[in-house]
Amino acid sequence: MTLRTLARPWIWGFAAAALVWVLILAISNQGGGQTVSLALSLAPYLVIVGLGQMLVITAGPGNIDVSVAPIISLAGFVAVQVTATTGSVPVGILAGIGTGLAVAVVSVVAILGLSVPPIIATLAAGLIASSLTLSLADGFTAVPDDGLRRLLNLRPAGVPVLAVAVAALTALVVALLRRTTYGRSLLAVGQSRPAAERAGVPVARVIAITYLASGALAGLAGALLAAYIAPSPDLGTRYLLDSVAVVVIGGTLISGGRAVPVGIWGSALFFILLDGLVNLVGWNTAAQNLLKGGLVLFVLFLAGGGTLRNPGATTRSRRRLRPAAATTAGTSTGENSNG
Amino acid sequence: MTNLVASALPSRAGWRRTGPAMVSAVAMVAMIAVCSSLQSEVLTVPGLALVLSTTVPLVIAAQAQMVLMAVGDIDLGIGNFVGLVTVITATKLVSSPGTGALLLLGLVAAYAVLGALIHLRRVPSLIATLGASFVWLGLGLFLLPTPGGSTPEWLASFGSWQPAGFPAPLLPILAVAALVWLLSARSSVGVRVRALGSNPVALQRAGLRPLAARVVAYAVAGGLGVLSGLVLASQTGGGDVSSASSYTLITVAAVILGGGSFAGGTAVPWGVAIGGITLGLVSVVLSLLDVPSNMQSAVQGVIVLAVLAGRVVVGKVLR
Repeated sequence: MTLRTLARPWIWGFAAAALVWVLILAISNQGGGQTVSLALSLAPYLVIVGLGQMLVITAGPGNIDVSVAPIISLAGFVAVQVTATTGSVPVGILAGIGTGLAVAVVSVVAILGLSVPPIIATLAAGLIASSLTLSLADGFTAVPDDGLRRLLNLRPAGVPVLAVAVAALTALVVALLRRTTYGRSLLAVGQSRPAAERAGVPVARVIAITYLASGALAGLAGALLAAYIAPSPDLGTRYLLDSVAVVVIGGTLISGGRAVPVGIWGSALFFILLDGLVNLVGWNTAAQNLLKGGLVLFVLFLAGGGTLRNPGATTRSRRRLRPAAATTAGTSTGENSNG
Repeated sequence: MTNLVASALPSRAGWRRTGPAMVSAVAMVAMIAVCSSLQSEVLTVPGLALVLSTTVPLVIAAQAQMVLMAVGDIDLGIGNFVGLVTVITATKLVSSPGTGALLLLGLVAAYAVLGALIHLRRVPSLIATLGASFVWLGLGLFLLPTPGGSTPEWLASFGSWQPAGFPAPLLPILAVAALVWLLSARSSVGVRVRALGSNPVALQRAGLRPLAARVVAYAVAGGLGVLSGLVLASQTGGGDVSSASSYTLITVAAVILGGGSFAGGTAVPWGVAIGGITLGLVSVVLSLLDVPSNMQSAVQGVIVLAVLAGRVVVGKVLR
């Protein structure tokens, strides 16, 4: 990979984050280091979810995990409850991860066993998870572990411990994608599923691992987030849209086949700093959403063809995915235009 | 393999078009049967009207989603968009009907512009509509930070309209489905829109403009979204930008249940109506069954999976 192709995708997120940071600096006239430190302590949660979402999106057109939000909420409750019952933080976090895996298993069975489109499969799994969350939330009394909360708030020399850990996780994902058979297979499946199939890549296994990884990462984020803030049924709500947005602004191809883990950091910092900026200016949630949506659209339309360097790739490869359906559609259209 | 499929097309094409909706229809009839066995009054005209009324805005929003899925796009902003329409209805349309109507027309135009930008800048619709959903939410919160407001009289009287002979909610459901069907299956615009979904290159080579087709599809989706919001406001009697946020994904599920696909090129307005009613009836069945409302979304999820599983099974049997 040459520097040029590498530099292009992920530069946008970091550039936008830097721009917002300068704006905050100009408005608040305070030390910029503190702002960055605060952003670094909030961004990791989004990065964790984003990494999972990135793996899923990389698996090719049509792949998206919309169950991350309900998983985060459910894993938060489960992790806090298990930690309170067993008294062990690691067991609680593992329970959170396990929750994510369990929900992802439902999605995987539906995707591979029933050939349900991923967005519907993960939607259904997420709906089931959110029902469980609501049942758990009724009369929930356990409180998050104090030690874990202190650890998550720990910032030696202004650098949050969690940010370092998640940076290591990001490096791990980079290595996973570049060096392992799974990573290579995932990219191959994302670029062209039929080609990967014919090359002997175990596509079903790759897809299954990808969704399980996304579920596990969302579960981890939920377990940590519940300790950092507090478990609530709405804990994960904003993470669905945000996770997809940070992945795409980060330079990962929405049509699959190219993953840019580092870019997630840039766009996650951008989103977190943007929230900070809006709070600083004293705007309400209405303006916050308007600004966020406007900026996402602006960056998207500005980058435009750049993000989709091969125009039409989405539609073409999407059709390859379901040849039979496309044939039917093509025929019916043909009939009508002839008649 | 492809040749084999092609030679077996006549029967399979027919099955592919109507089969999924059939399976959903079975699910819908089963749910109405469950309702009527629990509460025999469901089968009377007022009973059906009551049961169906909650599904109307969802079904119309699902038609909007279907139009966009027909061009191969997907709209992740429809829920907030419908919410925004209820807010405008509950505020501006009451205080100054002219401005309100202009605002609603502006929203339709905004959808058309969004479609044009998506096409010209070649960006994925998934992300663009996601970004737009933040904008709709922001606008809605800006106009009406907390749920409230009132509905114009004519809309309220439509919401409480109770004709004697037939359940009132059926009228908007059937009228909208018929309209979308006429547009998509019986008009040249519809053919172009579906052609854009199934083969954009062929559309271009035929000398037709893909841009126009996409803009039309987005404008129609925007118009249906506005209609859905108006109906929702007529039922709730007020505006709330987050009242329809669940629509975003449920409408996608309704389209899939009705036989639509992500590949684009297919328009299934009748199937979508059935799929939307099926999903909308879940809350009614659950309240009749005395199931806690917590479980409502789980049952919706299970029904989606069950219907799709049923479709796989039926497909295998027929093959």
